[in-house]
Amino acid sequence: MGIMARIANLFMGWRNEQSVTFALLFKKFKSILERNNRILELMADMGDKLGGEYIFDNKYIEDATFQLNDQVFKLISDMSVLTQSKNTALFLAFERIQHILEEEIAGRRHPEGSRMVLPFQDIGIEAEDEVGGKISQLGDISNRLHLQTPKGFAITTTAFFAFMSHNGLLDLAQKGIEQWDGTDQELHELADLMQSRIMDSPLPWRLVAQIDAMIDVLSKCSAHPLRLALRSSAWGEDGDSSFAGQYATELNVSPDRVVEAYKTVVASTYSLEAWRYRLDRGYHEHEVAMAVGCQIMADSRISGVLFTCTQTSSATCESMIVSATWGGGAAVVAGETATDTIYLSRTPPYPPLTRAIARKTRRLVPAARGDLVWEDVPEDLQNIPSLTDSQLEQLARAGMSLERYYKRPQDVEWTFDSRGELHILQSRPLRSGGDAGLPVPVQSATRKAEIIFAGKGLVAQRGVAVGKVVLVDHNTDLDQFPEGGILVSKFTSPRYARVMRRACGIITDVGSPTGHMATIAREQRVPALVNTEEATRLLHDGDEITLDATQNIVYRGRVAELDKFERSEPDMFEESYEYRLLRRLLKHITPLNLVDPHSDDFKPQACKTYHDITRYIHEKAVEALVVLSQRHDALHHAPARRLLDGPPLGLTIIDAGGGTNCPPEAPTLNMEEITSVPLLAFLQGMSISGMWDTAPVPVDLGSFMSSFTRTFTASMAGPEAVGRNLAVALRDYMNVNMRLGYHFNTIDAYISEQINDNYIYFRFIGGVTELVRRSRRARFVANVLDRFDFRVEVHGDLVVGRIKKLSVTRMLVRMHMLGGLVGYARQLDARLNSDELVAKHAQAFLEAIKSTIPAELAEPTGGKNNGTAHLGA
Amino acid sequence: MALRILVLDDEPIVCKRLKPAFQKSGYEVETFTDSAAALRRMAETAFDVIITDLKMEGADGFQVLERARELLPQARIVVITGFATLETAKESFRKGAFDFVAKPFKLSGIIECVRRLEESMTPPSATR
Repeated sequence: MGIMARIANLFMGWRNEQSVTFALLFKKFKSILERNNRILELMADMGDKLGGEYIFDNKYIEDATFQLNDQVFKLISDMSVLTQSKNTALFLAFERIQHILEEEIAGRRHPEGSRMVLPFQDIGIEAEDEVGGKISQLGDISNRLHLQTPKGFAITTTAFFAFMSHNGLLDLAQKGIEQWDGTDQELHELADLMQSRIMDSPLPWRLVAQIDAMIDVLSKCSAHPLRLALRSSAWGEDGDSSFAGQYATELNVSPDRVVEAYKTVVASTYSLEAWRYRLDRGYHEHEVAMAVGCQIMADSRISGVLFTCTQTSSATCESMIVSATWGGGAAVVAGETATDTIYLSRTPPYPPLTRAIARKTRRLVPAARGDLVWEDVPEDLQNIPSLTDSQLEQLARAGMSLERYYKRPQDVEWTFDSRGELHILQSRPLRSGGDAGLPVPVQSATRKAEIIFAGKGLVAQRGVAVGKVVLVDHNTDLDQFPEGGILVSKFTSPRYARVMRRACGIITDVGSPTGHMATIAREQRVPALVNTEEATRLLHDGDEITLDATQNIVYRGRVAELDKFERSEPDMFEESYEYRLLRRLLKHITPLNLVDPHSDDFKPQACKTYHDITRYIHEKAVEALVVLSQRHDALHHAPARRLLDGPPLGLTIIDAGGGTNCPPEAPTLNMEEITSVPLLAFLQGMSISGMWDTAPVPVDLGSFMSSFTRTFTASMAGPEAVGRNLAVALRDYMNVNMRLGYHFNTIDAYISEQINDNYIYFRFIGGVTELVRRSRRARFVANVLDRFDFRVEVHGDLVVGRIKKLSVTRMLVRMHMLGGLVGYARQLDARLNSDELVAKHAQAFLEAIKSTIPAELAEPTGGKNNGTAHLGA
Repeated sequence: MALRILVLDDEPIVCKRLKPAFQKSGYEVETFTDSAAALRRMAETAFDVIITDLKMEGADGFQVLERARELLPQARIVVITGFATLETAKESFRKGAFDFVAKPFKLSGIIECVRRLEESMTPPSATR
């Protein structure tokens, strides 16, 4: 790289006469910044792959993980050189994480923690390793979709491993399958052997004790004598019907029978059918683990099954079907009783289409000694509908919500309790009956359909959505968002998380597939197409459209075949081994736990992910460089001086050669002694523009200019508020690292007459306010940078802007602007109360900054490059 | 009629995801994870497009490409690879690849690639 070589040369010349050490250490510091950024980019890149737009394979996962390992290791090594210390705790943290990642890639999964039982209220989707697919899915249903599910606790996969390995059963399965000759006969024998061995083996006493403790807790919150339903929840069992059909469910289990019922469910893991199914699907033996959910038996008044899609013909699916009866639902599933059968429309508000009310003479109720028994239904209830219209609508809404989330028609087991509340017991993909595997005539359907626009935008979450356009802006009351609408908006916003349960698709004019909203859309699997530029112009409120967020096409009207095609794909991306693996890996890579540098937990021992390590090192590297430059030996070679005037940044400046012209021994300096071209422009931008002193614009823009003159309040000037800020300066170069409050700015710039070498690199991350405001600020920064022709990338609240090869004048205009921007943005997130303010603030900032650009930098209007001409707009 | 596409990649995930995507775009697709089986199929059927992985393990990374070229000289070959270097790209083009795509790639990108290729085909091969 020419630029780097030039900087290296500058340091080289300086080194010869001055401190060798500092030059080397500064090089390490720069390398830390570069790696830091590379790591953040790699992490974002891996996260994006979960959205489904990319085809990636195992090799990609391995390569990307390898690169991350490599970069993080070298990052710590650089840090060790910089701080002249061993950083043992950091290396240990790294080793720990790397080990887990390697184990995951090699397919050796060991759930962390040693919790053998877990109460349901502590379970979310992230607990999938511990509690299996079905229970963590129920966690999803309760936490993300806000549907009610039964209370209880899970006996975790940790318990499974403890039980199985205690009795040598995992080895038995592994060896058995290695030696298996491939015949059904032999698999059958192996399955029988496994099952009988499981039933005969004792549970570790610690597990029994913990189960008893959980049962005690449940008994206390249950009005009736406690009865439990024990349900299987295996790894990968995301409620898939083939799995679910094979694994056991034990109903109305009394506390003293729980251990036996647990073993029955575990044994069902090794039934011939389940085993065969896993083998066919490419599951490895090491991917097998069975957690068991112990739910309080629902006090079922009415129960049944909802299929969100009827599959009677090959025509498009326009209705759903409910089977309902009095009492418990087990008989409905098994088809052992007469049920009311109601067809409902799939279009909100889901009115009933046809209704067949059966004569329901008996119902299942819990027996005193366990299991369920039949009893007669009172005469007056036998011939009346079991469900009211409002219950039907409630059920339909829940069903569609589940279908949208899982991108498959759903087979939902539900019950209404004696208080009339709906509980979802289980939801799994509906196996299609009649037309499974038939080709969907998608091509002829799409050829006939009118295309509203195509080839525009970026896919944030792939998928197909059919519905009515709902135009949304900052004034829209999101609580009124209609069920099944397609949200169309100018901007992306994490605020839309609230409607994602109801929206079936999202289209925006601007936005990035790596922003916050995209992350949430991916979590909730809502098809989302962003950055289409003109969706809000082409689409009108109430238009019926079909969004194909796999091929970036929006069709007019309903192209139901597309939706159907999507929902009948035999292998869903989100169910693939690679998707699961990548998600598991990312859990140890991207979450950020070290948020507050002032907290006691901001230490290497607390680093749980690569993001933690990276964040920790960045913070400490800046500190280290300041300390280093203040040390005695470095002092007279590369003096660190505090800036007295100028913006109250508490800035320490290290002159690495030609950056200042103050006397060598001076401990402080003034603005006028700065000779570093980029640094001076930056600091002047900050102070001349008045942006630092300006309280960010009040909501009323009319008063914006008056607020300009408002003076800087003392409370903001404290060193705690501004953090440790450092600039390394040469004549043509500057590197500034600033922490203002909780957000970080890094700016690296080289500006000289060598136009081809000129560049500015700007990075902005963090903040303390909630996600929504932080991301608004990130968008504000990105918006402004974009208007100044920076190449901008936004990953969550990380904004990176790059620009290069502009003339000195143009570069200095941008440094001036960045000075203003940093000052302006430092507390802006606390004030960004609505999405609309993002654009207003950007506009206000642009206008304000333009007027402060010094005359000698201002260019004639209509400049030939795409430079400042575009600012006046 | 519909363009016939053969996809060869030893990682099942690539086949599983490309197949429905191409089908949706109206193409006929067959996928293979085993190169011998894919070559046997090429000997039987005149595919219009061959999308093949380029494995660098084993010295014969380019053998499939060459063999496919011999079997189906009319077919357009697209190389998809996780080992995307200037050398492998040059060598692929020298061996007759029509396009070269680095993994991971966007679904829309590969479909666009096939569309371009479809347009570039001369009428005789299209009506064959």
